[in-house]
Amino acid sequence: MNEPHPGSSSRPPAAAAPARRRRGWNAMDLSLIAVFAALMAASVAIPGINVGALGVPITLQTMVVSLCGLVLGFSRGTAAVSLYVLLGLIGLPIFSGFRAGPAVLASPSAGYIIGFIFGAAVVGALATLAVRSRWRVVGLFGAALAGGVVIHAFGIAGFMLRGMGLQTAVVTDLAYIPGDIIKNVIAVAIALSLHRAFPDLLVRRRK
Amino acid sequence: MRGHAFVVAGYIPGNSVFHRMRLGLKAAGLFLVAVMCLASPFVSVAVGFWTTTAALAAVVGAHFAAGLPWGRLWRAVRLMLVFLVLIAAYQWWQHGPAVAWQVIAAIIATVLASNILTATTPVDELLDGLASIVRPLERIGADPERFSLTVALMLRSIPFVIGAFADVRDAARARGLERNLMARSLPVVIATVAYARSTGEALAARGLGEPAIKTVERAYKD
Amino acid sequence: MNQAVSPSIVLSGAGVSIESGDPRSPAPKRILSPLSLTLAERRIAVIGANGSGKSTLLRLLNGLVLPTSGTVHVHGRNTRDEGTAVRSMVGFVFTDPLSQLVMPTPLEDVELSLRRMKLGKARRREAAMAVLAGYGLEHLAASSIYELSGGERQLTALATVLAVEPSVLVLDEPSTLLDLRNTKLLMERLAALPQQVIMSTHDLTLAATFERVLVVDDGHIAFDGAPGDAISHYRKLVG
Repeated sequence: MNEPHPGSSSRPPAAAAPARRRRGWNAMDLSLIAVFAALMAASVAIPGINVGALGVPITLQTMVVSLCGLVLGFSRGTAAVSLYVLLGLIGLPIFSGFRAGPAVLASPSAGYIIGFIFGAAVVGALATLAVRSRWRVVGLFGAALAGGVVIHAFGIAGFMLRGMGLQTAVVTDLAYIPGDIIKNVIAVAIALSLHRAFPDLLVRRRK
Repeated sequence: MRGHAFVVAGYIPGNSVFHRMRLGLKAAGLFLVAVMCLASPFVSVAVGFWTTTAALAAVVGAHFAAGLPWGRLWRAVRLMLVFLVLIAAYQWWQHGPAVAWQVIAAIIATVLASNILTATTPVDELLDGLASIVRPLERIGADPERFSLTVALMLRSIPFVIGAFADVRDAARARGLERNLMARSLPVVIATVAYARSTGEALAARGLGEPAIKTVERAYKD
Repeated sequence: MNQAVSPSIVLSGAGVSIESGDPRSPAPKRILSPLSLTLAERRIAVIGANGSGKSTLLRLLNGLVLPTSGTVHVHGRNTRDEGTAVRSMVGFVFTDPLSQLVMPTPLEDVELSLRRMKLGKARRREAAMAVLAGYGLEHLAASSIYELSGGERQLTALATVLAVEPSVLVLDEPSTLLDLRNTKLLMERLAALPQQVIMSTHDLTLAATFERVLVVDDGHIAFDGAPGDAISHYRKLVG
């Protein structure tokens, strides 16, 4: 995957321009991957935000998954979410409810956690295409939605693997859909703002 | 290490058998529990039922042998309770009570077993364990040093991000925007990205995290 | 210093401009006009308003920013072709030490700096302790960097940079986040260093103690000379 690297920019000028020509990630990429993985982990520790009508506290996890893809693109976004999942699986209490360890894979909601990785990958790949297209905003939102579909598909598959019936699994999953759509709208809005604040950060427009 | 204070939450200090056991052994034990619970039903329903029940009993025993509190056990179950009930109902309806119990007990046993592992192993040991898994991958082109650096960066950034969330929540509250998801998250993400960029720049300035470490050695020699 | 080649830093027609990012006006934006300078004095201060181009000038010196025109050489090495070598000769201290300190504790951070020296784990730890002790920070070795005061953090950042013994030290407004006492402490440490020190600052009293002062204004060097004249020039500039 040919990721845009942070190159020359406005104030303060971005670092590590010399590494741009080398293969692989430079220091800036590693830093972004690590910090977005931290954002994933921190979003778990933040108490849910009560959003008016829904009455259900919204957690920011799926929003951050979308953001990883929208902001970092395919390879760095996938890496950030994978790093988060990996560290959760080896035992850091950074999954929702402060759960941790390999047995999260045995729990009924394991599908969502694995789905995060593939969701971020799909969002990242589509977002890279979307920012280059004429329909940037719609494209980014479509990318985020597609990622959401992937995450929910994994979630439902996870429920079923643990012995839940298809109908029950789908109905259980549906409870999360409205919140996730709101979060995707916000993720796209944030991504667009970030694009203005840091023009060289996001998947770059074709010159 | 106190620097990881936030993420140490999972670890409960103690001096039990499990606290002293090597991480590899604990991981092997966890693997064994998982295999027993997941594979035994394939032999027969009865074997699955009894093996899983025994495994669950053993794991609960181990939980208390490790000196872990009741609350910890209950919390692990409570977080999955809704799903467990749904699964049990469906399995009972489809296959009867024995299978329902086996499926539920298998999930609880593996989750508790992994809970014991994480509660009795300090974060640093877990990270060392991770590093030792990654090290052999060096031969196929992975870079364990840069991987460890990225992990360290992530751990060190968590308190920063949590702090940013707290600051932004206070600011949003002061302006009466407490329920505005955008006002609560955009400033956090902006601050986080700015922080990531200054950290990336500082890494580059110190010559860290860049792929071409061999160039440095050459530069020193000539 | 082992690299006793003089003069240490030479900029020849080095300028920086960036793409505007705005498709409607694609003309590149000039951050720093091409300038030619030889920086050989042991203590050089850079003063100027926010956004004047100070930070970009400093980042040119260790290759964090590459000139879009002209060249920058450090001890005869081009920052463009030998960036890694240049960065090992030029240490850089940032305004905010929290973005500079990567590891959770000072000890681990210094160890990270020493990674390039390919010591064993135990020897590296020993060497890192020695570095911290050298700057009077050994009692903080195992503290979380979040528990350190601003001054302690900046001194730790300085120690991690100096651990690899650069021959030039560049500091970008290192005292901006420090109180008066910590600024004084930092400056005492800097004064005692054998290295060449190039520092930007808003603190004119500090700048007055340097051998040579550059005044940067709107991407140009507006004045270059003795501190007294430079500071009065800067005051006039600000009006």
